[in-house]
Amino acid sequence: MDRIGIVLVGAGFIADAHSGAIDADPRAELIGIVDAAPGRAAAFARKQGGIRHALDLDTALSWPGVDAVILCTPNDTHAPIGLAVAAAGKHLLVEKPLATTVADAQRLARAFEAAGTVLVAAHTHRFYDYGVAVKQTIDSGAIGRPKLVRLAILGGWIWPDWSAWVGDPDRSGGHALHNGVHLLDLATWWLGQEPTAIYARGRKQTAAELRIYDYLEMVVTYADGATAVCEMSRAHRPGSLAQRELLVAGTEGIVEQGWDGESSLVFGEAGTATLPAAGGNGFAKQLGAWLDAIGGAPPQMPVADAVRAVVLGVAVEESIATGRPVAVTA
Amino acid sequence: MTITVALVGNGGIGTQDHQSSMYGPAFERHPLFSLVDDPAAAQVLSIAVPLAERGAAIADAVRAGKHVLADKPLAATLAEAVEIERLAAEHGVVVVPAHHQRFNAALRSATAAVRAGRVGLPWNVQCDFVVAGGDPAPTGELVNFGLYPVDVVRALLGLEVRRVHATGSPDLVTLLLDHDHGVTSTIVCGRVPALRDLPPGGLAVHRYRISGSHGVLAVDARKPALQVRTTESNGLVWTGPGTVDALLDVLAAGIASGAGRAAIGPHDAVRAQRVIEAAQRSMETGQPVETGE
Ligand SMILES: NC(=O)c1ccc[n+]([C@@H]2O[C@H](COP(=O)([O-])OP(=O)(O)OC[C@H]3O[C@@H](n4cnc5c(N)ncnc54)[C@H](O)[C@@H]3O)[C@@H](O)[C@H]2O)c1
Repeated sequence: MDRIGIVLVGAGFIADAHSGAIDADPRAELIGIVDAAPGRAAAFARKQGGIRHALDLDTALSWPGVDAVILCTPNDTHAPIGLAVAAAGKHLLVEKPLATTVADAQRLARAFEAAGTVLVAAHTHRFYDYGVAVKQTIDSGAIGRPKLVRLAILGGWIWPDWSAWVGDPDRSGGHALHNGVHLLDLATWWLGQEPTAIYARGRKQTAAELRIYDYLEMVVTYADGATAVCEMSRAHRPGSLAQRELLVAGTEGIVEQGWDGESSLVFGEAGTATLPAAGGNGFAKQLGAWLDAIGGAPPQMPVADAVRAVVLGVAVEESIATGRPVAVTA
Repeated sequence: MTITVALVGNGGIGTQDHQSSMYGPAFERHPLFSLVDDPAAAQVLSIAVPLAERGAAIADAVRAGKHVLADKPLAATLAEAVEIERLAAEHGVVVVPAHHQRFNAALRSATAAVRAGRVGLPWNVQCDFVVAGGDPAPTGELVNFGLYPVDVVRALLGLEVRRVHATGSPDLVTLLLDHDHGVTSTIVCGRVPALRDLPPGGLAVHRYRISGSHGVLAVDARKPALQVRTTESNGLVWTGPGTVDALLDVLAAGIASGAGRAAIGPHDAVRAQRVIEAAQRSMETGQPVETGE
């Protein structure tokens, strides 16, 4: 079988994780790289042993052997670039969030449905070892019907300065859409239930002048009465101490992973830091699942779930703005 | 000279008998107290009557000039709790509601650390208070032990609760609390089924994360403890004084001060009851509710 030819769009922070996954999968081939910033695509191409590079997607879509695109550009560009990929009849793995508005998310879903190509959003936590292990434990029935999920992903400030697009809500969609969607999707997938309401609180802890909430607490209520409490933070101090905590309580038992559940702790002169275990490569598994779907397998991250994550992220921002719970229908 | 105590009642919510399981034995082993049979002859009444009768029994004891250790919750309604607060002040007696969890050794040092600025200005507390096994409370667990973590969070922050949003069920509830200065807290509270190697009614999860401008304090309130593993069992064994013993220290100190007040009193029960009743209204309406604090 021919390898699936892939173009990466956006040679930034997360691009290496995707190109690494492509390198490790014999079914895929990285044809070239696109980045709008002059020099970035060329530099990335050199690092990859001289693959093709371009400043715009149109050029790349004309290269021979291109079947699919991985999109790693800022969130507000996902919809326009994604629609162009659909129009060209290519498959797409788009970084999360699928889009920054519900209308755009639905537009993308419809465009790929019409094109008959595979659209997958990179909700990578579904492919991380812990995400898979919790899902398997719940699905095994070991803890009965899950009634509560608590998931906290905490860290310090990571975005460089005021010029970062992530700090601009018009570009990132706000923190609920930027990072919040990871937790909203994961908790909802674990529970296997439909969300009915969101109540959220946000905080601008690192600086009062922030335009996004660096701490988010997103509480989802589900159709069967279950609750998910999701905390996403870039506000915790010390910034060196990244932590993840989870608790799932069911009718027959509980699952827990505390902040020390996977990581070793380094007590160093520079402070204390968690040292995550090596384990599986979530980006490689995510790529594999997308390639499987292109080959006809049911997608592990269905488009409807990616749209739902956007619906939930938008509801989080609305709940914070109004101080009230927001009803959601997927 | 020891302080004389009479045990009044062996009831509570549902099948509870905290008098026999907790307060009686703690008074018995405490060096500053001695048990007497006749309530009329006692300085302190340890009152654990069924919740419906509790407020009236405590009010009568206060009017008779007795100090009181009161099973929790102090009373079935906010109005009764407020009346007990008023009466206790009028009669100058010590009324200690059994909010003993705040006297957990780890939580006492955590409270002191927060007060000393060890995490900077606190801005959020997350708490899980999850009991495993034991008899489910017919009132729902929000009424039964929701006040414990609410009381601990108040003690940790030293801030009252202004607004409450609640979701989940009365047996496993999530409380989202707003305090002054934009500080927020979240409490997951309830009962899950019996779990292996845990005594029925024991705490499966009891933890607090206090996030501040300059650090984080993570407290596992099932400790200080030893992890003991044998061929038969695997569990935590407490080290140091228990929370009820520490509560009796507070009662004794309050009586000894002669001021008619202890480190915890009816106003703490009133405050907790306001939060619980606001949470109940929030569950009914699906909307956040002001506590009126
Ligand atoms: N799955 C995850 O865990 C994860 C982690 C981090 C980031 N992300 C997502 O990946 C995406 C990229 O994030 P990042 O941190 O790599 O950002 P980045 O700013 O480091 O990189 C973005 C790159 O896109 C380029 N670019 C911008 N607009 C473009 C356009 N219209 N056409 C072509 N190139 C363009 C920029 O020049 C830059 O090189 C975002 O959607 C983000 O949400 C996902």
